[in-house]
Amino acid sequence: MLRVRALSLRYPDGKLALTDFELEVERGELVVVLGGNGSGKSTLLRCITRTLKPTSGEVWLGETNLCTLEGEKLRRARLELAMVWQQANLIRRSSVLSNVASGTLGRYSTFRTVCRGLPATELDAARGHLADVGLAALAEQRAGTLSGGQAQRVAIARALAQRPRVLLADEPVASLDPEASEEIMRLLQRLARSERLAVLCVLHQIELAYAYADRVVGIRNGRIAFNLPRSEVSRDAVRQLYISEAA
Amino acid sequence: MSADIAQAHSNGARGARGWTDAVRLATRFVILLLAIGVAVQTFIVVEARPSDLITGVHGMADLIWRAVPPDFSKLSAAAWPTLQTIDIALFGTFVGIILAVPLALLAAANMTPSRLAYYAARAVIGFTRAVPDLVWALLFVTAVGLGPFPGGLALGVHSVGMLGRLFAETIEQMDMAPIQALQLTGARRIQVFSHGIIPSILPSLLGISLYRLDENIRSSLVLGFVGAGGIGFQLLTAMNLFQYQEVSLLLIIIFVIVLGAERISAALRERLA
Repeated sequence: MLRVRALSLRYPDGKLALTDFELEVERGELVVVLGGNGSGKSTLLRCITRTLKPTSGEVWLGETNLCTLEGEKLRRARLELAMVWQQANLIRRSSVLSNVASGTLGRYSTFRTVCRGLPATELDAARGHLADVGLAALAEQRAGTLSGGQAQRVAIARALAQRPRVLLADEPVASLDPEASEEIMRLLQRLARSERLAVLCVLHQIELAYAYADRVVGIRNGRIAFNLPRSEVSRDAVRQLYISEAA
Repeated sequence: MSADIAQAHSNGARGARGWTDAVRLATRFVILLLAIGVAVQTFIVVEARPSDLITGVHGMADLIWRAVPPDFSKLSAAAWPTLQTIDIALFGTFVGIILAVPLALLAAANMTPSRLAYYAARAVIGFTRAVPDLVWALLFVTAVGLGPFPGGLALGVHSVGMLGRLFAETIEQMDMAPIQALQLTGARRIQVFSHGIIPSILPSLLGISLYRLDENIRSSLVLGFVGAGGIGFQLLTAMNLFQYQEVSLLLIIIFVIVLGAERISAALRERLA
């Protein structure tokens, strides 16, 4: 579903952030990316979403190479690519339901959404997604009143409302307590299976990677260190990612 | 030997500290002298004569004596100019908001589509704000004639500058992460504006607008002095005709309008906070 081919990014100062990066994430699969600070994990996600333009390489979403798209074509392609961040990034003064439904805005014309609002079917679907993440009761509440864990679940519901084929998550549990972190990872794993989503998740928590990932990708200095099924990833290989970063 | 060096260092440090203290003291003294100089020159330039206050007491007492009781028989005649005054302020605020929102989007560094649009919008905001509303009123009276319309236009144009700057600052201080998150869902530019930016900043914009309305009501009271309609025009006429009892009635009305607008504006802003 998501294929990254020979992806490289060189910053204007000459520093190589990613070098010939190769990655595939299939539908129904949860892939976790591990690596130290500055290893290129978040840069990888930003290249995939095209908020950064790679220097070379390809990012295929199904049959579409995102690296060749600009403007309206890129916007349309992004409809199928949902993203969850470390912070939930909700519109705090809008309702939870409105935040979730906003994931579908791009599927409708500006006139339709600004003058008449989203169709009732989308609002019903948004309520369904809220139920999926266990927050149906909070639909009418202001997003700014939610706890960190609840807000992150709403962000995931918004991502689902987008009806994406790929879900990217950049340290989605970094600001959550252990219990909420487990909850979010369980949710991502369940959604990968039930919604047949290709989920690519950047994490710092090694134990969570061991518990929930189907595959683990190690990244060091912008290059792939390993790309293995969870059961084949040794503790030593993971430790090396961080040791060599520190050295 | 080393003790001598340490002593020398210590003396040196003490000497440097003493010199710094002396400079600091001298600077404070100069600043104090300057402040006194500025204060004294204001008395000279404004030709302040405190003795005139004492000799003027008699004239002031006579004025107050002739102004009471207020002439409440003129209340119905004052109703229309009062409504005009409030509506001049409302009109000016509405015009200001309508023009200031797009201008603020161009003048906000995080939203502007180009540097050229940014500087052009900032220039318009700066110019409309720099020219006082009374001057705008004089210009519009010349352009469209006497009456409340030039008053409304004057407040509208001046409000564009005042609101535009505050709106732009509000937009610049907005947390952009949720807006970028919405952009990445594939939402179009206007959808991001209507569903992301507006809900995020609407309470602030309303609060600023209410404060502006409060200010505009105060301004609209005096616009009549230059022929731009409202209760100010009636006040000026009553003063010129020595109708002091009518003047006192109009001053009571002005007091009620200002106080009412201030209280209502403050209460609404508190609810929005």
